[in-house]
Amino acid sequence: MKVLNIVLNGKAVTAKAGQTILELARENGVFIPTLCDSPALEPAAMCRLCTVQVIEGNRPKFVTACNFPLRRDAEVVTDSPEVRHGRKLIIELLMARCPTSPELQRLAVDYGCDLERFSPLNDDCVVCGLCTRACEAVTGRTLSLAGRGTAIHVDTAFQKASAFCIGCGACVQICPVKKIAMEDVDGERRIILHGRIASRVKLPRCTSCGKYFGPVIDLNQVMERMGERLIPPPNATICPECSRRNLAIKLGRRHFEQYGVFEEEGQANAG
Amino acid sequence: MTEAIQTAILPSEAAKIMSPEGLALFRQELLSGHDPNAPLVLVCCGTGCRAAGSVAVVDKFRQVLSGTAWNGKVVPMIKHTGCHGLCSRGPLVVIEPGDLFYQRVTVDDVEEIVNKTILNNETIARLQYKPANSKEVISKTSDIPYYAKQTRLVLKNIGKVDPTDIRDSIMRGSYSALAKVLTRMSPQDVINEVADSKLRGRGGAGFPTGLKWESCARQEGTRYVICNADEGDPGAFMDGALLEGDPHSVLEGMAICAYAIGSNRGYMYVRAEYPMAVKTLTIAIPQAEALGLLGENIMGTGFNFKVTISTGAGAFVCGESSALMASLEGKVGRPRPKYIRSVEKGFRDSPSNLNNVETYANIPGIITNGAEWYKSYGTQRSSGTKVFALTGNVNNIGLVEVPMGISLMEIVFGIGGGIPNKRALKGVQTGGPSGGCIPIPHTIPDINVGYGKLAEVGSIMGSGGMIVMDEDTCMVEVARYFVNFLFQESCGQCTPCREGLIRMREILTRITQGQGKEGDIELLEEIGNFTNSFSLCGLGTSAANPVLSTIRYFREEYNAHVRDKKCPAGVCKPLFHYEINPETCTGCGLCKSKCPVKAISGEKKKTHVIDQSLCIKCMECYKGCKFRSVIIK
Repeated sequence: MKVLNIVLNGKAVTAKAGQTILELARENGVFIPTLCDSPALEPAAMCRLCTVQVIEGNRPKFVTACNFPLRRDAEVVTDSPEVRHGRKLIIELLMARCPTSPELQRLAVDYGCDLERFSPLNDDCVVCGLCTRACEAVTGRTLSLAGRGTAIHVDTAFQKASAFCIGCGACVQICPVKKIAMEDVDGERRIILHGRIASRVKLPRCTSCGKYFGPVIDLNQVMERMGERLIPPPNATICPECSRRNLAIKLGRRHFEQYGVFEEEGQANAG
Repeated sequence: MTEAIQTAILPSEAAKIMSPEGLALFRQELLSGHDPNAPLVLVCCGTGCRAAGSVAVVDKFRQVLSGTAWNGKVVPMIKHTGCHGLCSRGPLVVIEPGDLFYQRVTVDDVEEIVNKTILNNETIARLQYKPANSKEVISKTSDIPYYAKQTRLVLKNIGKVDPTDIRDSIMRGSYSALAKVLTRMSPQDVINEVADSKLRGRGGAGFPTGLKWESCARQEGTRYVICNADEGDPGAFMDGALLEGDPHSVLEGMAICAYAIGSNRGYMYVRAEYPMAVKTLTIAIPQAEALGLLGENIMGTGFNFKVTISTGAGAFVCGESSALMASLEGKVGRPRPKYIRSVEKGFRDSPSNLNNVETYANIPGIITNGAEWYKSYGTQRSSGTKVFALTGNVNNIGLVEVPMGISLMEIVFGIGGGIPNKRALKGVQTGGPSGGCIPIPHTIPDINVGYGKLAEVGSIMGSGGMIVMDEDTCMVEVARYFVNFLFQESCGQCTPCREGLIRMREILTRITQGQGKEGDIELLEEIGNFTNSFSLCGLGTSAANPVLSTIRYFREEYNAHVRDKKCPAGVCKPLFHYEINPETCTGCGLCKSKCPVKAISGEKKKTHVIDQSLCIKCMECYKGCKFRSVIIK
């Protein structure tokens, strides 16, 4: 692997060829703010918050740290006044869309943002695309970026409750502004997007305790992907809680049959 | 074009051309069967002329000519051709031999043309070209200043060939450059020739074509040749006209590129709003394949190149190369970051060479005549010619091809014939929504049109849209128009472009409605500079150009809007009113008769008055007054 000499904020460091600036910065303890980056997903460079300046050769240029692959010796400046000014504008513009996000509020303080400059847009989404990319990675068919130009928004096909959703909740978990909600009501799981039900997934009832639990379709996908590695193996009729309890009882019983007694120590070993 | 022509084109005995020499023989054969002295009627069937009724004119000519015999034996030929260029005077008809030019020809004129001009060599003065402000007619096409001052290298076949008949193009030399590279040049020779010619991408950015080919050829794996015909700039129609009028030059250019970079697959990405271009290509490609000039085993040399047409779905952003490739793959047309360029990893993650229609159309000429010949046109840094779509407030609206380095004033006045209605020139907008306004002649007296010069003054070459603006143009409104266009056409995925355009549009709309605030202009500049440096793709990084360039050169006009609440050009309706100047008004009553809401009163030969409470500011009186007595206040 080729090793590159990089000057990162004035400090000489080495990088692996092909490594992104964001990876290099994290390795070296340099913080670069991000909104649309997730270690689980390919970078999309949509929010542009991680923009930094790179000087390869003699021309400085603005690039996004999350996906810019270092291929030559270069100088990287992650926090110049120009960069900070651009980030400040990004935050101000996004705060006008989504003023209640704690993450944006924190950034707004860090960057000394003037929150009066832009009139509120009354939207609840920063269009970072994390949910759509996470969805694509899991099922690929439920959420996507719909609409053209400035009317772009996260949506299901034809704005209808999606039939493809498996109710995994990845979109809910990954949303940086926490604007996608999930609730389990009356035996179904609902994903709430823009205040609308984006999908309904039937929940099975546990045959053991009678409670509703995670969607079968989601469990099947997890089983398919994880296979033997799952302990205890998911079961489509029993909730994970009962499943764990049953496993514990089974192991305990085996221990009892073998040694005739329950022992604190033995139980721990069995687990 | 018509179905009848499509099927009649290739005689059944037309066999595939099995060697490059076979092409020369075939051409010879075609030329020998053609009498250069026989009358030939060329009717422009470009979009403009079609809209003006040229298809009916063609049909009428066919009908009348079928019963006619010139010299008692020959039936005069009629061809429907691509765009002749002088769109504002269509439908255009050129009669050969003699290069006789007729304009605004209607169905009713056809019989007269056949009887007088074709059969008896008499000209019809009423249909001939008269320059603005002159009564003298110009009879030959090549003598009309609009054509005489152009250098037509790329457009050389347009208006001369029937785009639905490949034999017509072959007679004028099409595919001979391809034959030359297949027999006498190695792929590297081709790349060197193109690189030597210093041809730069005609799509707008001006990247050296030879260098692009070279880097694509160096990659491993399946390579693709892609032609970007997703021409979406408002007011631009060069690529559409090229594909409609001379598809074989473009196809030949693509085939030469494929040979040079080692590819056998080509894609032509045409915008769906060009149905005629799509239709012409769907006729041209099978014809070329039937003759063995495209497809498998081209001219018997073993070289394969298959071209597939793909149509867009109406998104402007798909003219951006990575969005175009995503769209070609069947994905949503959104750009991707291009830190790894398409020549390395483009369409289907394979090395892809994407060029614009006009770039490919330049290639056959360079191969046939050599790089030195090509460099004899244009300037040191911008060689060759460029086709512009000249529109706006100019007398001769149409397609013009000029050598690089030509003076902009020469294009507007020499070729374009100046500004209509005795108005003064205020500026020229080049490069479409990514370009800027050049304030000639006031702030900048004149510039030589080239990549570098245009960038210097804050505009770009772009794909070749050139909008001429007169003194009645409001620059704030121009900026708002382009920002509004991009507001709708941005893909919306990255924050600076999406949010920046929302805010710039908001501020510009506010200013044009008379609600501009102190600080708005500075805020526009701040957002504009930010959008241009932080956005993801080429659309975003140039989205603020119309705003920044108009502020740079017309700041006073912005100030007038924001501070004085006045629109000096008289465009933004809440910011001006019309008055009649009592000192110059002759009381002719023309304004009164033109006013649709009867807001003007006054006796004959006495000063007229406008009732402001009734006036709807429709401009009729202002435009109509011969003494310029209606003034903007």
